[in-house]
Amino acid sequence: MSVPEQFDVIVVGGGPAGSTLIADQGHRVVLVDKQSFPRYQIGESLLPATVHGVCRLLGVEDEVRAAGFTVKRGGSFRWGTSPEPWNFLFALSPELSGPTSYAYQVDRMTFDHLLLKNAARHGVDVREESPALAAVTDGERVSGIRYTDPGGRERELAARWVVDASGNGSRLHAAAGGRRQYSEFFQNLAVFGYFEGGGRLPAPDSGNILCAAFDEGWLWYIPLSDTLTSVGAVLNRGQAARISADRERTLMESIQRCAIVRDMLGGAVRVTEGTYGEIRVRKDYSYADTRFWAPGIALAGDAACFIDPVFSTGVHLATYGGLLAARSVNSVLAGELPEERAFGEFEARYRREYAVFYEFLAAFYDMQQHEDSYFWKARKVTNMRAGDMEAFTTLVAGAYSAEAALVRPDTLAERFSASSADLAGAVERTGAARTPSGERMTELFRAPVVADVMTEMNQIQRRGVGGAITEPPLIEGGLVPSPDGRRWIEPDTAPAAGTA
Amino acid sequence: MSETSATPDLTAERLRADVERVLGEPAGSVGEDDNLLDLGMDSIRLMSLVETWRKAGVETDFMTLAEEPSVRAWSRLLLND
Repeated sequence: MSVPEQFDVIVVGGGPAGSTLIADQGHRVVLVDKQSFPRYQIGESLLPATVHGVCRLLGVEDEVRAAGFTVKRGGSFRWGTSPEPWNFLFALSPELSGPTSYAYQVDRMTFDHLLLKNAARHGVDVREESPALAAVTDGERVSGIRYTDPGGRERELAARWVVDASGNGSRLHAAAGGRRQYSEFFQNLAVFGYFEGGGRLPAPDSGNILCAAFDEGWLWYIPLSDTLTSVGAVLNRGQAARISADRERTLMESIQRCAIVRDMLGGAVRVTEGTYGEIRVRKDYSYADTRFWAPGIALAGDAACFIDPVFSTGVHLATYGGLLAARSVNSVLAGELPEERAFGEFEARYRREYAVFYEFLAAFYDMQQHEDSYFWKARKVTNMRAGDMEAFTTLVAGAYSAEAALVRPDTLAERFSASSADLAGAVERTGAARTPSGERMTELFRAPVVADVMTEMNQIQRRGVGGAITEPPLIEGGLVPSPDGRRWIEPDTAPAAGTA
Repeated sequence: MSETSATPDLTAERLRADVERVLGEPAGSVGEDDNLLDLGMDSIRLMSLVETWRKAGVETDFMTLAEEPSVRAWSRLLLND
């Protein structure tokens, strides 16, 4: 093997997490991905923080807008006690809809390719069809990777930092020294396909994702274009044998059990050819690694953690992890912060974001009433097992050291039950979609568990729209983003409050 | 953590001036009861006001201000008159 090529940063994986690491600070960045883009990916529903925050920071927002993706103003849910769907909109109200109150439903082949091309345009040396084989260590830290080039030759790259954004199917994450800890609570399987000619919710909700519960699980219904719809059934892992025996039948039977989706698909035909013609299965088990970084390596995206898809968090958590990693790498390479401090902030914020979504989703599942079915019974907060509580406390340990309620298993169930009651009450007071109250999200946004998940997403969007801003620390004793959002700084060195 | 001063430095004059500044309206042009949403107050501007006023030692939040978007209501809520 030849002498390793030298870089400042190696990124493994060209999905949204990896493509967030652009080379705009003068660093030499190389990105390897085993596939050739464009390539298929699931996780089509985005959140506004990705669209208006991260994409703007990356300088790719206009291009994303020009791609003509379906505009999503929120989620519609046939979920909980009400027989009528209700809305979770991104805007507080129609009057306060503002410039960041929508996201997109994206064809991930196109979206991911846009982001990757953007990274290349920003100086990243992008190498496709180049699977990473293993991390290289110098005894004390990760110092590079080995990969196979498109010609089949094994090559070595060396750098001060490796960012593992290689997704859920890669083993590189083990180089950070941790292990994947799975949630017992969210062990679901998704079986999904594509339909032409499905119905749409009435305007202005026609671009919304619809998530509809039924006795054995729930379905997503994502309008990718005027005529193409992504439909997936999320089922208990106990259904694995049934799914592998006949994927199509399992998906179709699930649709038949769920009135609202069955009716929307009344005149629709399943796509049977091309990229969208396949019925795919994905293991939607939620997990987080016990370590998000070690000297020389940081994990971002599904390499670090994954949480249940019902609130469309996949790309958000990926690009958020990528952004945090970029800030830490930039600070350390500039010699401005010790790596423990910079990557401690990365891990604390990333775990906090995972934890608030975890609590929100646990509360969300707890609202559903089909208590006679195994799927929903196993997802009542009161049925969380001690092991799951302990797993959760391990996952968030450090991020919330001051909050006893989140690190003590015995108080956690109580806290999650209270969150669920808050959320259920807020949904009830909000009322059905297409009613005046159902257009106003005040009640929902006021629920503490919702306010928690909005905190960082709002900051990222504000930064995208308002440019340079100063923020208070998110984690007690922690760092704050620099005014340009690309590095970390100590809070007492932040310039005085400016107004954008 | 940042100190919250016992006597917030937000005054009626400053509150109005801050509102006019984020809306890009001339000084003194916004009426007490004008609906600020009609004047272009959006969620981003509102969030920046919340943060500015928090830094001035006033405890408030986005949702409270969004519910009654006028200078009169905000003066009542924030200035303890």
